[in-house]
Amino acid sequence: MAMRKAKSLQETQHYSAKDNAVGYLLMTPWLIRFILMWAIPAGMSIYYSFTDYNLLSAPNWVGFQNYVTILTTDTNFRQALFVTLGYVFVMVPLRLIFALFVANLLNKKHVGMAMYRVLYYVPSIIGGSIAVSVVWKQIFGNQGVIMSLLERFGIEQEYSLVGNPRTALFVIILMGVWQFGSSMLIFLSGLKQIPDALYESAAMDGATPIQRFWKITIPMLTPTIFFNLIQQIINGFRIFTESKIITDGGPMNSTLTYVLYLYRTAFTNFHMGYSCALAWIMVLIIGLATVLLFKTQKSWVYYEAQ
Amino acid sequence: MRKLWKRTTAIVMASTMALSLAACSGESAANSQAGGDTATAEASSAGEDITLRITWWGGQSRHEYTQQILDKYTELHPNIHFEATPSGWDGYFEKLATDTATGAMPDIVQMDYLYVSTYAANNSLADLTPYMEDGTMDASTIDADILASGNIDGKQIAMPLSTSLLTVAYSPTCLEAAGVEEPTSDWTWEDFAAMCSEVHEKTGYLGTSSGPVDDTNNFNYWVRQHGEQLFSDDNKSLGFEDDQITVDFFNLWKGMMDDGAAADPDEYEQLLALGIEAGPMATDECGYYINWNNYTTLMANVNDNLKMVTPPQLEGGENGLWMKPGMFFSVAETSQYKEECAAFIDWFINSEEANAIMMGERGTPVSSTAREYLINSGKLTEQQQQMFEYVDQAAPLCGDTPAPDPVGIAEVNQAFKDAAYSVFYNQVSAEDAAASFRQQANSILAANN
Repeated sequence: MAMRKAKSLQETQHYSAKDNAVGYLLMTPWLIRFILMWAIPAGMSIYYSFTDYNLLSAPNWVGFQNYVTILTTDTNFRQALFVTLGYVFVMVPLRLIFALFVANLLNKKHVGMAMYRVLYYVPSIIGGSIAVSVVWKQIFGNQGVIMSLLERFGIEQEYSLVGNPRTALFVIILMGVWQFGSSMLIFLSGLKQIPDALYESAAMDGATPIQRFWKITIPMLTPTIFFNLIQQIINGFRIFTESKIITDGGPMNSTLTYVLYLYRTAFTNFHMGYSCALAWIMVLIIGLATVLLFKTQKSWVYYEAQ
Repeated sequence: MRKLWKRTTAIVMASTMALSLAACSGESAANSQAGGDTATAEASSAGEDITLRITWWGGQSRHEYTQQILDKYTELHPNIHFEATPSGWDGYFEKLATDTATGAMPDIVQMDYLYVSTYAANNSLADLTPYMEDGTMDASTIDADILASGNIDGKQIAMPLSTSLLTVAYSPTCLEAAGVEEPTSDWTWEDFAAMCSEVHEKTGYLGTSSGPVDDTNNFNYWVRQHGEQLFSDDNKSLGFEDDQITVDFFNLWKGMMDDGAAADPDEYEQLLALGIEAGPMATDECGYYINWNNYTTLMANVNDNLKMVTPPQLEGGENGLWMKPGMFFSVAETSQYKEECAAFIDWFINSEEANAIMMGERGTPVSSTAREYLINSGKLTEQQQQMFEYVDQAAPLCGDTPAPDPVGIAEVNQAFKDAAYSVFYNQVSAEDAAASFRQQANSILAANN
């Protein structure tokens, strides 16, 4: 691994100016999009976060006032952060466990396996959409299937699951878990890279399937788990559509996720500057979470080449 | 051959010019008013084609007939064309805000009471006073109080299109099934609560299925009945001192929800998802619905039995009703064709042609000439007739018209809903919720005004 890296470094030094020019030329479509749609807006939002910009008239510089207000007096910010952290901490592990479980089932040679893989991936494609959120709202609502099922089993509820401040977030978490497809695909490719020889020799030594799973599959899969974990945590923080459509942050802000609060601040209440500050605090939080995860990497992630 | 070539060039050039002119409308935020006016003067005198961009919110039927009105106007003024962007209520103001931010606000914008102060404070809307003075617009047909609701800091930045009054719609069929008499204008809140409970006990249906705390309109009526106003004159705080008013309001509705007489937040959210036309009032499976006086007209397609009565009185209280401007048309400050916009709005409000198509769908027309025309036309349906008569019924129960909602009203509404729901969900006492609402509302109002 280290050798390959050194070699590729050497190679770069041999590229001529002409090669580089061609390289840049080839990436211009991406570069233009990156600058126009990402770099400039991101830069502007840093600037706006220090202003009282309200979308409709010119921004005025207010220094750190937005950040100070958010961190000291904004109760909605605390609520939104609390809800989002709760969502991430519960949803991400559940989604990964579920994805790994299904990936294991699908990692066998059976007729029609490809079809199952496609089927299980479908929720991830359509999952975050508005249409599915509307359906979800109906299913878990007070006239919905789930409530009548619960009633049939004698569990009478005062409120429906989406209508109860204590359970509404779980409906949204459940929808997140249901969209396990992309993690599942990554796990599946990770599973395929584990050499069969390991399992065979372990089986010969008398290891049970459960032992094989814990002693071979999990350790060999840690790099994949690590990758999925980071990706899903970042995704999790960005939860918006589900909480906007199913509950619109309610009841009583029990599902007011961070991005929903940010959106509301910007477009319903017109505090764009304040909202940009919220966005940058979010960036810092996600960045911090990622750095912390990378720090823990050494103690549990196993790379074969090391 | 050469002649043909010349002619082709001329046509191409002319059409390019027309196209670029059309493309210019609404853009170029920096254009000074004087510059804009000369441009339009030239354009009109030459009979040059003008495209006005217009946007509104509403349902499918409003989209269809408004397009017919626009087509009619183009028929009468062949050089004026429209580029319409109809939308539902959801997302309408989000889109308008972003359009405004990029200097691309449509020339004519349907505006709501909720946001008119916000846009006015940011000078996004054109002052229409000059066009009222030079006769482009005839505002003499509009009631002074209503007209004033679109006048902020001496500028007429919005023209009201219709008026709304708070009303209680009821289903005679449902009330009859429950053995409850139809209400009359002198009923009180106690009567209302008792009747709702009666309906629920006898039929199992909801007594009332509207959301009392979606915004502060119901509460505003309640506060006014107590002889107070919801917001202070400077809009920096609530206008009443006594939290007991809020506590009583929360408890009234909490009691009705606990009885099953009113929809609790959970049931209400589900009803909202159905939309009003699929709600229980459509099938006479609910007694009452508090809304605006165009409600029975909106519902006529699905249930033409509904009737209206003025909202309940407060025992020993004052007249709390007020004429609320239903919606406005405003002209973008950035528009190059302000005069043409003003002429169109005048025609939209006052003309027989427009009103014959609209038939009061946007609410009771503000223009007295339009109202007379519609009443005498004999084309009104029973519900539309009711809507017009309701204005006269309600007049004796109206108090002063309150000032436009303050900037930040959307946040105040959210805080109000949160406080009320915390009571409805048994999380805090009504007293604590009222205190917390006051604290939040005051800090929102102080920050915005």
